[in-house]
Amino acid sequence: MILEMKNIVKTFGPVEALKDVSFTTQPGEIHGLLGENGAGKTTLMNVLAGTFPPDSGAIVIDGNVVGGMTPAKANTLKIRFIHQELNLCNDLSVYQNMFLGEEYAKHAWKVDKHRELEHAQKVLDSMNSGIKATTVVGELDTAQKQMVEIARALLFSSELIIMDEPTTALNNREIMKLFAIMENLKKEGVTFIYISHKMPEIFHICDRYTVLRDGAFIQSGDIRDIDDHKATELLVGKRFVQAHIKDGITTTISDEVVLKATALQGKTFRNVSFSLHPGEIVVFTGLQGSGTDELATSLFGATELEKGTIETKRGPLNLKDIRTVMRSGIAMIPRNRKERGILPDLNIRTNNSLAYLVAKHKSLLVNQRKEHDRFERSRKRMNIRVRGDLDPITSLSGGNQQKVILSRWLEITADVYIMDNPTQGIDVGAKFAIYKLVVELAATGKAVLFFTSEYPEIQQLADRCVVLYKGEVAAQLSRAEISEVTIMEYSTGTHRGNLE
Amino acid sequence: MNGLAMKDMDWKGNWRNITTNYSHWLSFILLMVVAIIVSPAFLSWNNLTNLFVQGSVVGICAMGMSLIISAVMIDLSVGSSVALLSGLGVLVLNSTHSLTLTILFCMGGGMIVGLVNGLLVTKGRIAPFIVTLATMSAWRSVINQLGQGGPFTVDNTMYTRFRNIAAGRFLGVPHLMIFLILISFVTAMLMSKTKFGTYVYAVGSNQQAARLSGIHVNRVKTLIFVYAGTLYGLAAFLLASRLTSIQAASAGSGYEMDAIAAVAIGGTSMDGGKGKILGTFLGVLMLRIINTVLIMANVPPFLNGLVTGVIIIVAVLAQSTKKGR
Repeated sequence: MILEMKNIVKTFGPVEALKDVSFTTQPGEIHGLLGENGAGKTTLMNVLAGTFPPDSGAIVIDGNVVGGMTPAKANTLKIRFIHQELNLCNDLSVYQNMFLGEEYAKHAWKVDKHRELEHAQKVLDSMNSGIKATTVVGELDTAQKQMVEIARALLFSSELIIMDEPTTALNNREIMKLFAIMENLKKEGVTFIYISHKMPEIFHICDRYTVLRDGAFIQSGDIRDIDDHKATELLVGKRFVQAHIKDGITTTISDEVVLKATALQGKTFRNVSFSLHPGEIVVFTGLQGSGTDELATSLFGATELEKGTIETKRGPLNLKDIRTVMRSGIAMIPRNRKERGILPDLNIRTNNSLAYLVAKHKSLLVNQRKEHDRFERSRKRMNIRVRGDLDPITSLSGGNQQKVILSRWLEITADVYIMDNPTQGIDVGAKFAIYKLVVELAATGKAVLFFTSEYPEIQQLADRCVVLYKGEVAAQLSRAEISEVTIMEYSTGTHRGNLE
Repeated sequence: MNGLAMKDMDWKGNWRNITTNYSHWLSFILLMVVAIIVSPAFLSWNNLTNLFVQGSVVGICAMGMSLIISAVMIDLSVGSSVALLSGLGVLVLNSTHSLTLTILFCMGGGMIVGLVNGLLVTKGRIAPFIVTLATMSAWRSVINQLGQGGPFTVDNTMYTRFRNIAAGRFLGVPHLMIFLILISFVTAMLMSKTKFGTYVYAVGSNQQAARLSGIHVNRVKTLIFVYAGTLYGLAAFLLASRLTSIQAASAGSGYEMDAIAAVAIGGTSMDGGKGKILGTFLGVLMLRIINTVLIMANVPPFLNGLVTGVIIIVAVLAQSTKKGR
C-alpha cells in the first residue's frame, strides 16, 4: 500500500493541531513518526484511521483519493491503529476482544466461538506471547494487554499498521519480540507507522522518518541520514535545544528538610525513601508500570499508602484527607488535565480559585470581585491568554488550561509542589512557560517534586533525579550524573547496582 | 483562518451561547405568549398568583432537585418523602397543637430523610437512582401502614390557624407564592454566592478533579441530600396546610417527576456541573402555565401529560447544542 496524506489541516476550537501536514509511506517500510507530545502525531494518525475527519486535505491510497474515512472504512482498507491507551473490554476474554465488532459468524446471528478461539490462539502463539485466548482481559498485566492489542491488529491481514507508543509497558525482551514480528510482517509487504519517544527504538527498527513539530511538517528522510543529536534538534527546534532555563537563576538549596518520606509502600511501589529541601527540584521518572503514577498520588493522600511515613516541617503528615495535606503545605498538580484537572463546566475564575476556597478561604461566602482580582494576578504572572475569566475553561487552549491549573495551586502558597506530568499534551511554548515557572518557584524557596517521563524535562529541571524501576528506587542521580543514557538504563533495569 | 470567518464563528458562537444560556427565558416567554393568545384572561392577577400557588409545593422540592441533578445525582423519593413527612406532620400537629413544633418536625424529619439518602449514596456506595428508588418505596409503605388506608386529617382545634399558612395572603400576595419565591432566592444565593454552591458544581462537573482539589466529595453529596430533604419537609408542611387532609397512598405522588421536569425545562444539564436555579423556578411556572393553557383551551385533561412530555423534550433539545460535540 502506498499511502499519501496531503495538506492535512485539523483544528480543535482555537488550537491548530495540524497545520498543512503531508506525509507518504511506501509498502514494506517501517516509518517512524517523530515529534514531542502535542506535536500532532496522534492527531494525524486519528485522521488517517477515520477517528475524526480533517478540516481539509486528502488521504490518497495507491493513487485513489479516499473520502469520508471512518474507522470501519479504515478496517476494510486494511489499516489498523493500535492506540497508545488500551482499548480493551476488561470483562471480556482475550479472543472476544480481538474479534470485537468483526466476529466470525456461524449463522446469521451466532458467533463461531470455536473458529475465533483457534485463530486468536494461533496469532498469540506466533507472537510467543504466552497468553491464552480464553483468559479474561482484566486478569492480564499492562504488558500483556498491549500484546493483545497488537495481536488484534495481526488477526486480519493488514497492509498498514499504526503503532502509537506500543512499547511503553513492555520490557526489553518483549520489545525485541515485537520488533521480530514487525520485521517478519515487513518482509510480507506490510507498512508500519511507528510512533515512539524512545530514540534508540526508532533507530533500531525504522527505515524512514517524518518529524512533526507544533502541528507542522518539519522533515522526512532516511533514518540512516540522521543521528540522535540531529533528531533531537528536529524535534524540539534549535531555539529550545539551546535554551537552558536554569541558567541565570541562582537557587540555593538549603540543608533544611521540608519533606521526608520513609519506606513508602503502595500497590505498585515499595521501599521508597527520600528527603526534599527548600529550593530543590527533584524529578521522579520511570517507565509506565514503574510505580511513579501511584507514588505521585500517594504523596498527596489521593491514593492510600500501605506503609511508610511522610514528615513535613509541621510534623508527621496525615494522609487520610487531601484537604489536610493541602493545609500542611503540599500542593499537587495532577496528571491528565482533562480527567483530573479541569472542571469543564465551570468558568476560568472558579477553576482558578477552587483550591484556595477549599484550603484557605475562611468565610462561607465567596466574593466574586476578590476571585477576579486573584485570577488577574495569576494571568499577568503566567501570561495566561483569556478573553474574560467568566468564559468556560474549555474555551482555552490546552497550555492555557494547564496554566490555570498551576495557578490554582500557586494560590494556596504551599512549601512543596508535586507536579505530576504537568506538561502532558500541551504545546512547546506553554511547556517552557511552565518550566520557567517551576524554576522560579524553586528560586523562591519552594521544593518541587516533578514527575515526568520525558528526558528533556529532566535535563532542563532536575537538581536531582530519582529513577524508579519496577516499583523500587533504581537510582538517585545528582544533576551532574544525569544523562539520557543513564536514565534509560536505570529505568529499563539494564543498569543495576549503585543502590545505597 | 481569515478575519471574516473568525467573526462569523464568533457570531455563531455568541448566538449559540445566548440560546443555551437563556433558553429557559426564551421558552418561558414563548409559553407566556401562547397563553395570552389562547386567553387574554391569563394575565389577571388572580390567575398569575395561582400559577405560583399551585407550583409552590412541587417548586420547593424542585429547588432541592436542582442541587441533586447539578451534582449528577437523582432523587426518586421526593413524593414518598413528602407524603411521609406531611402525614406525620399532621399527627404531630394534632397531638401538640403547636405550629412551631410541627414545622420543626417536618423540616427536621426532612433532614433525616435526606441524610439517609446521602449516607446510603456516599458511605454505602450505592447509585442514587437505586437508593432513592428504595427509599421511595420504603417511605410510602411506612406512611400507608400508619394511615391504614385512611387520611391524616387536621383536627378542628388547629384547623383554621393551620390552614391559614397555605391559604392566607400577605398584602394580597398568597403565602405559598412568597414561600416559593423566598426558597428559590435562598437556593439561588446558596449556589451562586457560597463555597458550598461552588463545590456542588465542581463535584457535578468533574468529581475526580474536585476530590484532587481537596473537596470532600462525599460530604458535599450528603449535604445536598440533607438540604433537599429539608426542603421536602417544608413542602410537606405546606402541603398538609393546603390540603388539611393527607391521603397516605396518593399524597405527593409524581412530585419527583414534576421536580425533575422543572429542572430539565429550566436548563440544568443532566450531566451535572451546570445548574440554573432561576431556570428551575421558571420551569416550575412553565409546567403550571402548560396546565392552565390546556384547561383554558379545553384540551382533555388526559392529554396534559403528553403535551408536558413534548415540551420537556423540545426544551432540552434546544439546550443540548453545546455539550455533545
